[in-house]
Amino acid sequence: MNLIEAKNLSLSYGRKTAVDGVSFNIPKGRVVGLLGHNGAGKTSLMKALVGLMSASQGEVSVLGLSPVSQRGELLEQLCYIPDVAVLPRWAKAHELITLMSGLQPRFSAERARQLLKRTSVGLNDKVKSLSKGMVVQLHLALIAAIDAKLMILDEPTLGLDVMSRKGFYELLLDEWCDGERSVLISTHQVEEVESLLSDVLMLDEGKLVLNISLEDIDSRFHALSHDAAAAEAVASAHPLLRYRQTGGRTAAIFDGAPPENVAALGERIRPSLVDLFMALTRKPALAPTQA
Amino acid sequence: MHSWNTTAPIYQQLADRLAVQLLDGSPPEGEALPSVRQLAGQYLINPLTVSRALQALVDHGLVESRRGMGMYVTSGARTRLRNTERENFLEKEWPTLRAKLARLGIGAADLNWETPQ
Repeated sequence: MNLIEAKNLSLSYGRKTAVDGVSFNIPKGRVVGLLGHNGAGKTSLMKALVGLMSASQGEVSVLGLSPVSQRGELLEQLCYIPDVAVLPRWAKAHELITLMSGLQPRFSAERARQLLKRTSVGLNDKVKSLSKGMVVQLHLALIAAIDAKLMILDEPTLGLDVMSRKGFYELLLDEWCDGERSVLISTHQVEEVESLLSDVLMLDEGKLVLNISLEDIDSRFHALSHDAAAAEAVASAHPLLRYRQTGGRTAAIFDGAPPENVAALGERIRPSLVDLFMALTRKPALAPTQA
Repeated sequence: MHSWNTTAPIYQQLADRLAVQLLDGSPPEGEALPSVRQLAGQYLINPLTVSRALQALVDHGLVESRRGMGMYVTSGARTRLRNTERENFLEKEWPTLRAKLARLGIGAADLNWETPQ
């Protein structure tokens, strides 16, 4: 069974369309990255998945439930950290554990204490005394102590330094990903999450421009690293994007294999997710004129 | 965070890294590899990608899956790995290196052959 199913889903604010006819499924045991520029529709899509926004068109089901009409039942079985999440500043960690025990029937206080031991947050620490990174770790520990199949995280690592982000991802991989549960995580930090993901959903101006597993990216997209001398010939084969690699060589990304005579002009490299993101979501106005 | 280059898919790079460790005897033949979850946490890689890397090592006969117990280093893995690496060096790396040595006019007598301890 899929944990999330969206069919031709559109979301709008009045006349403004935020998400435009997207269809995708998320099965169990996946780590799915939701990537897109600001305003691409990531947060709206996540809101619709937890019943905070109704579809203007199409259908969505989460854990087999309708997020809007069966919201109460759904929220008992789902972990969600919105982009605007805050924990009460006056509360101590152990008080939040007590609060969660009362609010969430599937929450395990024991498990939360166990998860907190992995972080530098103490049970008697007040939220206001914690660094931003520690607050996010506390939040994740509270949320991951819910016995659920699906976690939805909207920009969880925004504003965190590199050590805190690393700690966050470690906690997520070690303590949440067990091959059964899935996570949907939206982020701008594309380079960093690339290796964590099993799948990618890429949104551009409300449209789903890519829905693919990382494994399939390796076979579908070809990146060709080549010398400046070959630039014209490579450009004539209409790559999705041409870019400069670190070290000064130029590379081009193709959807599918380029013609053999073009492929022979360089060597095939792995297109990074960032390059692919640039290739598929750039606004046309910013694209350089075709050579 | 670990960095992964653009020369090869990430699973391949992890498989290569694990192979280098096997060559150094870590873990030794007959011993278990860390679990998929441990490797995923250590390298911050998706567990499915870790499984692909381990499968690549299985395909090369370096590790074997024991039902319900995880992955174990096969006997003879180091020898096989060493042979492959030797062939690789002699066929691919050595010609480039030899050309460079010739270009720089460096002979065998100019090089330090002592193995650092």
